[in-house]
Amino acid sequence: MKIQALYSIFFFSVLMGACEPKTEEFAPSRGEADFYHYVALGNSLTSGYADGALYKSAQAMSYPAILSEQLKKVGGGNFTQPVVDNEDGLFAGKLFLDYSLDCNGEFSLSPVISSGNPIGYPLAIRPVGYSVDNFGVPGAKVAHLIFPGYGNPQRLQQNPPTANPYFVRFASDTGTSVLADAMKQNPTFFTLWIGNNDVLGYATSGGENNTADESITLEGNFHFAYETLINTLTSNGAKGALANIPDITSIPFFNTVPTMGLYLDENSASSLNQAYHQVEIFIQSLGYPDFGYGFQFKTGYNAFIIEDRNFPYQVPKALRVRQAKPDELILFTIPQDSLKCGGMGSYNIEKQRPYGIPQQFVLDEEEIAQIQNAVKRYNAIINELAIQKNLALVDVANLLQQAKSGITYDGLNFDIKYISGGIFSLDGIHLTPQGAAIVANYFIEAINKQYKASIPKTEITQYPGIKYPETIPLKK
Amino acid sequence: MKKFSLLFIILITSSIGLLAGGYQVRLQGARQSGMGLTGTSLISGASDIFYNPGSLSFLSKKFEFTAGTNAIFSKIEFRSLESDYVAKTNNPVSLPFFFYGAGKITDKITAGLGIYTPYGSKTDWPDDWSGRFLIQNIALSSIYFQPSISFQILDNLSIGAGLAYVMGSVDLQRALPYNDRSFVKLNGNASAFGFNIGVLFKPAESMHIGIDYRSKIEVKLDDGDANFRIPASLVSIITIENKFSSSLPLPANLDCGLSWQITQKLLFSFEINWVLWNCYDSLTFTFIENGDMLNSINPRLYSNSIIPRFGLEYRIQPKLKIRTGAYYDNSPANDEYFTPETVTLNTLGFTFGLSYHPIENLNFDFSFVQLMGIEGEKKYSPGNFAGKYRSSASIPGIGISYSF
Repeated sequence: MKIQALYSIFFFSVLMGACEPKTEEFAPSRGEADFYHYVALGNSLTSGYADGALYKSAQAMSYPAILSEQLKKVGGGNFTQPVVDNEDGLFAGKLFLDYSLDCNGEFSLSPVISSGNPIGYPLAIRPVGYSVDNFGVPGAKVAHLIFPGYGNPQRLQQNPPTANPYFVRFASDTGTSVLADAMKQNPTFFTLWIGNNDVLGYATSGGENNTADESITLEGNFHFAYETLINTLTSNGAKGALANIPDITSIPFFNTVPTMGLYLDENSASSLNQAYHQVEIFIQSLGYPDFGYGFQFKTGYNAFIIEDRNFPYQVPKALRVRQAKPDELILFTIPQDSLKCGGMGSYNIEKQRPYGIPQQFVLDEEEIAQIQNAVKRYNAIINELAIQKNLALVDVANLLQQAKSGITYDGLNFDIKYISGGIFSLDGIHLTPQGAAIVANYFIEAINKQYKASIPKTEITQYPGIKYPETIPLKK
Repeated sequence: MKKFSLLFIILITSSIGLLAGGYQVRLQGARQSGMGLTGTSLISGASDIFYNPGSLSFLSKKFEFTAGTNAIFSKIEFRSLESDYVAKTNNPVSLPFFFYGAGKITDKITAGLGIYTPYGSKTDWPDDWSGRFLIQNIALSSIYFQPSISFQILDNLSIGAGLAYVMGSVDLQRALPYNDRSFVKLNGNASAFGFNIGVLFKPAESMHIGIDYRSKIEVKLDDGDANFRIPASLVSIITIENKFSSSLPLPANLDCGLSWQITQKLLFSFEINWVLWNCYDSLTFTFIENGDMLNSINPRLYSNSIIPRFGLEYRIQPKLKIRTGAYYDNSPANDEYFTPETVTLNTLGFTFGLSYHPIENLNFDFSFVQLMGIEGEKKYSPGNFAGKYRSSASIPGIGISYSF
C-alpha cells in the first residue's frame, strides 16, 4: 500500500508539472523592413508634449518611444530622446487636474496651471549634448523641418523668431536643419507625422491671426517641403511610415465649450430679449430702420452671441454680433470667468452693450471649411507620396474619425471628449500616454501591413490615462 | 454651463461577472472523481445524494457516512492577439468538500443529508494585468444542504429526491481607470432553494441505468456591498460605499448514465450530462446609488453543453480497486462574449482513482483529476478584449467512508 501511495504521488506530481498551460507564442518578424536605426520626425505630438508642456514622464511615453520599444523586438536598436529632466516641463504652462473655485464660487475639478518649477530660460535651451533619434519639435510645421538654422539660438531673438527653442536643445550645430540632423543618424527606418501645425496655428488663433506665422500653409509649399523630406529620408534606401493629419476641428480643444452653452432661466431670457431690443432700436436710429438681430432667447440652452466679422451695417464694433451657428466652434482657451460671469457670449450688463465672444475664440463655418479643406489637400499629398515611395500610411485621420463615436480597448472606453475621453491630455490637443499607445499601435498595424512584418503591439492598458488627484484642497 | 461633466466617465461595471461558468465543480464523491466524474448509474453509497438520490436506497449497510475534499490547483494563461503580452493567473488553491450521511429507515426507504459545494471558482489575475478593467480577481463559492429520501419501488427500481438549500457568496474586484490604484470590490451573499430527483433502474444484475435531474437555481443577490477605491477628487461624484443587487443562475443538469459490470472485476460506466447553461443570458447589476451610471446589463449568451463521460473500475484484489476515466466538456461560453472572469474552454479531463478497503466498515478513496483546457482564441466584444487562453487544473482528492 505504501509503495503504491508513493507511486501515485510521484505520478500525480509529474502530471501536474507537465500541465503548465502554455499558449502558442507570438512570432515577431521584421518583414521587409530594417528597424536597426529608427528615427522619428514630427511636431509636438512626436516629441511627447502633453498637458500643455514637454515634461519628463509624458516624453518617456511619446508614441515614438513606445513604438521603438516594440521595434526592439524585431531588430531595433536604442532610441534616444532629448530628455527633459523635469516633471513641470521645459517651459511654464503645464496643466494638471485639480479642484478650483470659479467666479460663481463653484468648486470643481478642472485643469489648473501647475505652480511647479519648469526648467525655463536660459537652461531650457542649453544643448543636451548628445545626438537624438526623436526629432519631434513642438510647433514645427512641415517647412520648418527642412529649414537650416531652425536650431540657432541667435534666431530666437529675432522678431518674429526664426528658430525653435525645442530644436535649439538638440540641433547638432547652428546651421543645421531637423532633416539634416536626422540624416546624420543614418536611419534605416523613419516615421514622419507632420502637417498638423500647418493648419493648427491658424485654428488655435480662431482663424484671426493671418500673419505669415499663423496662416494656413499653401498647398504648393506643403507639397514641396513634404516631398523634400521624403526624398531625403528615403535617399539611402530607408523605409518608413507617414502619418496623415486628422480633422483637427474635432479635437477637444475646439469641442469642449459648447456653442449652445448659454444657459438662461426665464427671467434672464426675457431681460436679454429686452436688452437686445433696446440695441436694435439704437441701431435703427443710426439710419437702419429695418434692422433686427432676430435673436429669440428662451429658457434653457441658447447659442452664444459671437462677434460677427461680416456684419452688414456700419455700427460700433461691439454691436456687430450674431448668434453662433450649431456647427461653429468655440476654443478651449476662451477666458472662463468672462464667459461665466462677465457676460461674454451674451450681454455686458455693466457697459450696457452686446458682448460677443471675440472672433479669436471662435472658428466660424468659413474658417472650419478652410481648415478641413487644407487638411484634405495635405492628406492627398501624403497619401500620394506614401504610395509613390512604397511607404506605410498611418491613417490617423481615420483613427480620430472612429474615436468620435467611441473606441474600446481591453475594457477601457475612449472617445474624443475632453478629459473623460482618455485620448487627449489636458491641453485638448496632445495625447495622453494611453492615447500615444493607441497611436503607436496604429503605426504598428500600418507598418506590419506595408512591410509584411510582425511587430508586436503594445498593451494600451499598461500606460496611464488622465490622472485624478488623490486629495481635495480645502476651499479657500 | 458645465465645462465638462465627469459623470459619463464612470461607465464602469459594464461587464462585471459573477458566475464561474463552466466551472461546475463536479467533485462530489471520491469514487466518482476517479471514474471520469460519472456517477448517475453507479451505486456508490451516501454520495449518491448528489449524483443520483434514486440510488440511495441500494445502500449496502444500514448507515454510511462519507466525507472528502479536493484541492484544485488551476492555472490559466492569457496571451494578447498581435502582441507578445502574456498574463498568468495566480489562483489560490480551492478546496471544495463534501459530506454525506445516509441511513435506512426501512428496508425500502433510505434517508440522508448531503452537504457539498458543486459550484465555485477562484481566479486571481495579476492586479496590473491588461484585462484588469474586466476582472482582477473573483471568488465564487456555494454550499448546498440537501436532505434526501429514496424509495425502492421494485427490486430493480428505485427513486429518490432531495431538497437543496443553497448558500452562495461572491467576491470580486475590478480595476477602475482613474489611477493605477483605483478599483471596485463587490461582495455579497445569497441563498436559494432547488431540488434533485433521480431514478435508478437495473434491467439486469450487471447493468444499471440512472437518470438524475438537478433543478436550476436562481441565486438572487440583494444588498451586496460595492466598495469603490477611487481618488479623493472623485468621491463627491461616486458613492464609495454602495449597495448592489444581481442574480446568477446555477444551471439545471440532466444526467443519464449506464454502467455495466463487464466481468467480476471490471466495471464500466458511461454517461451524458446535459447542462442547461442557456439560462445564463446576461449578468445584470443594479446599484442603489449612482444607478444611472453604474447599472449594467452584460451579455454572456451561454449555450447548453453536453458532456460525455466514461469511467472504469478494476478490482485488483478484494481490498484494492483502481479507477480511471475521461470526459470532454464543451465550453458553454460564447466566443464573442468570453470574459476572463470565467475562463471556460473546451476541456479534456482525465481521471485516476484508487480505493483501499482495510477493514469491512472503512474505505479510503484517492482520486486525481487532470483538466486540460484546449487553447482557444476568444473575445469579450463589449470590452474589445481578445486573446488566446489556455487552462489546466490538477485536482487531487481524498475521501473516507464509514459504514455499519
